[in-house]
Amino acid sequence: MRARPPQRVDFVERDGVKVGFEVFGPGASGLLLIPSTPISHARSWKGLVPFLSRHHLVVTVDGRGNGLSDRPAESAAYGPDEVVADHVAVLDAAGLTRAVVVAHCHAVPWALRLAADHPDRVSGLVAIAPAVELAPREEHWAEPTRRWADEVEDPTGWALCNRHAWRQDYPPWPRFFFDQLLPEPHSTKQYEDAVSWALETDPETMIAEREGRGAPNERDTEALCRSVRCPTLVIHGTEDRCQPAARGRRLAELTGGDLVVLQGAGHLPQGREPVKVNRLIKEFVDRIEGEPMREAVWTRGLDRPKRALYLSSPIGLGHARRDVSVVKELKRLRPDLAVDWLAQHPVTSVLAAEGERIHPASAWLANESAHMASESCEHDLHCFQALRRMDEILLANFMVFQEVVEEGLYDLIIGDEAWDVDHFWHENPELKRGDHVWMTDFVGYLPMPDGGEHEAFLTTDYNAEMIEHIARYPRIRDAAIFVGNPDDIVPGTFGGDLPGIRSWTEEHFSFSGYITGFTPPDPDEIPAIRAELGYHEDEQICIVAVGGSGVGRALLEKVIAAYPLAKRLTPELRMVVVAGPRIDPGSLALPGEPGLEVLGYVDRLYRHLSVCDLAVVQGGLTTTMELAAAKRPFLYFPLRHHFEQNFHVRHRLDRYGAGRCMDYTTSDPDLIAAAVAEHIGSVVAHRDVETDGAARAARLIAELV
Amino acid sequence: MRAVVADAEGSVTRDGITVHYERYGSGTPVILLLPTWSLLHSRHWKLQVPYLARHYTVLSFDGRGNGRSDRPGHPAAYDTAEFAADALAVMDATETAHAVLVSVSRGTLWALRLCAEHPERVLGAIFIGPVFPFAMPPDEREVLRRFEDVVEAPVGWDKYNAHHWKADYRDFVEFFMGRMFTEPHSTKQHEDAVGWALETDPATLVATNHGLRGTTPEASGRLAETVGCPTLVVHGSHDVIRSHSQGAALAERTGGALVTLAGSGHCPHLRDPVRVNLLIRQFVQAVGG
Repeated sequence: MRARPPQRVDFVERDGVKVGFEVFGPGASGLLLIPSTPISHARSWKGLVPFLSRHHLVVTVDGRGNGLSDRPAESAAYGPDEVVADHVAVLDAAGLTRAVVVAHCHAVPWALRLAADHPDRVSGLVAIAPAVELAPREEHWAEPTRRWADEVEDPTGWALCNRHAWRQDYPPWPRFFFDQLLPEPHSTKQYEDAVSWALETDPETMIAEREGRGAPNERDTEALCRSVRCPTLVIHGTEDRCQPAARGRRLAELTGGDLVVLQGAGHLPQGREPVKVNRLIKEFVDRIEGEPMREAVWTRGLDRPKRALYLSSPIGLGHARRDVSVVKELKRLRPDLAVDWLAQHPVTSVLAAEGERIHPASAWLANESAHMASESCEHDLHCFQALRRMDEILLANFMVFQEVVEEGLYDLIIGDEAWDVDHFWHENPELKRGDHVWMTDFVGYLPMPDGGEHEAFLTTDYNAEMIEHIARYPRIRDAAIFVGNPDDIVPGTFGGDLPGIRSWTEEHFSFSGYITGFTPPDPDEIPAIRAELGYHEDEQICIVAVGGSGVGRALLEKVIAAYPLAKRLTPELRMVVVAGPRIDPGSLALPGEPGLEVLGYVDRLYRHLSVCDLAVVQGGLTTTMELAAAKRPFLYFPLRHHFEQNFHVRHRLDRYGAGRCMDYTTSDPDLIAAAVAEHIGSVVAHRDVETDGAARAARLIAELV
Repeated sequence: MRAVVADAEGSVTRDGITVHYERYGSGTPVILLLPTWSLLHSRHWKLQVPYLARHYTVLSFDGRGNGRSDRPGHPAAYDTAEFAADALAVMDATETAHAVLVSVSRGTLWALRLCAEHPERVLGAIFIGPVFPFAMPPDEREVLRRFEDVVEAPVGWDKYNAHHWKADYRDFVEFFMGRMFTEPHSTKQHEDAVGWALETDPATLVATNHGLRGTTPEASGRLAETVGCPTLVVHGSHDVIRSHSQGAALAERTGGALVTLAGSGHCPHLRDPVRVNLLIRQFVQAVGG
């Protein structure tokens, strides 16, 4: 899912060629982002659009040959005059009289022309990794440039940049090329994105563009640069294998602009170092536009109340309740501590009910829960890949968070699985504000077996990056709290030659024990609660619930189908199916037998779960641990491809001896009915779940304030 | 020892009265740190000069009546127009076409005149803890009204009195500086300010009072309305010398931004110098210069 949808998607058409553009944001001053096409398209700006469009009106354009734009076949259609005329047409169509233009690689010469020929339309120019003929390219380009039109036998490496090679088999080129352009370790997601965008065009278009773009010489390029009058900013990585940084340096000299060298960065800093690039662009635009002073209050250091900002993972509702209970304990220990929450739906509904203060910037957050729902289908959620594909949303939300902490003077940042904060502060350690508490209930990405070697390579790479982050910047996490006990940590290693998960986690975390959002009832309280909820003594109550997401429909349907047989096996059975807020109860087909009912949202569902005779649930940690804490028998079906549910949660439940794990795929209604009959009403004698987790976590946090 | 020494210094003389100025640094634009009431002299900018001079050219001068400037005895010499004319003379002497003005408290009065009457010389203006007669509350006016009354053993604001100053100048100075720094732990700022005040004398200070009395609320309100350059007002919420409401009104009247320093008193540039320095830089960057 995108972090921010465009408010307008449109085209301009010139001589029968359509060029697509998108418009974002409410700002008054404009930004035009021009990607390097056709090997890429406008989605390559995905890391910049959500942040910049909160401050400016952002227009992204797909150049001819990729994305939303047409792919004309003849080379003449790709001449710089045509492209620049497209950009003027887009500015006109978007209603921008002037804009700061941001261009990447060989879009920079177009932007220079736009600025030189239409100085009234361009108020500033940001050139990222500019492809300008102002210094020689690296040696590896010589051969492919010379032999571009030759037939080369079995080309490899840079020799893949060849018109015949592209015609015969185009994908090896972008695969090789982007591997070279992303020399930074741990760039798998950026690499996948870049290759996939390159594969959205075709070799004939690539060839036509390459042969039509023209080859300006150094003298003409210098003259062009000198004719640019607007302020310029050049951003260039030192490890750029496409365009040497000497080109960026010379461009800055000739235009009298600023040069920012990104040490160690490759050719795609807008993808790989998006936080830094976002901030550089905003500073540049603010300088040009003259960011006005606004009304503000600054409070003297000693006059400030102690303040914490709490971020609760919005994926599922479980974290919300446990975080509320941690804050209650924390306020007991530190009554003078004010807590704000940066949170999104559905967490905000829990917080609002508790009277907690939600920071207004929460409204700017892109919704992670909706992303996860969009990534799932029939009882299947590949949560590792879904998390990777959430990169754009995590970045957008981090940029919101960073603005909040830069203005909010917080003493303490508490992130319960706030992946964005932890990741991007390690990537940009100079941005850290306040003490940082990191909380999680699992450590280590684990590959699903059917993902094969490649998935194992990816999870290992992600784990390696996390381990390197913490080794290099131990100061980013002032406290790290594992919500659980050392025995809850899965066995095995982080992959490859990385350390064992348990030993590493024990070295780098404190342990709070499990944190339940509520205290389970004592056995002698249960009859009264059952009576209050309308559950009779002679009924065997089976509650089927799938939580707050829309993922659970398939499981509900399967369990409903099992009901007739289960009822025959256990005549006292009463099955209560809780569809949750996202599934319409009326949309579920029922067998029409008595003793089965379907409810929508149930307030304080945990009370029902804590007195039932059996529960049938998914494999999420919160619900299963609530059942374990209440000592209820339950069947749980981990979502397919959900490594956390299949490995981490299951390991923990096994340690407690709680629940019976069921495989969704192989469980037919008969098998489910038999399992219901076998476990309903059974007495469980598993290990107690601790009830002091919130207090222990609060004590660890309180040490910092 | 000073953190930086002046790169140039000099003086200008108008109608036989000489004021002394200093120039630091070489960047653009020029920041003119205006004098305030002559109870203090230009050393009260000591925490701004070293930082600002690394980025800009900084000009400061001792207001007539203190520091290395003359101390004329007749009240008319302390008219707001005279301070404004001194500022222009310093700008001319240093070949400064235009500058960003920074003023504190009573310095607002000459800063407003410069903005309104010489807009081509002013890039922008920052007012810290400003006096703004247009919005001055009755209790502050009442203090000025009784300035020449004969009072015996005054307490509190009754010490703001010509006779008392001549009888026990130090007592007034100690009282006033106690009101200037309401923030806890301000001993050094208090000592500094008392020391600067004692570099002038009660007779001179009585004459300086003319400047404040000569500006009517209506005139200051009209001046503020004609200000066309960008402005910033910085005002402490705990300013017990010039109420925060004056700063808020000045920001509104000049169309400028108001930055409230919660917990700060009348001279945040001395007591919270880091924040004030950063605000000045942010403003100068926004103005562009």
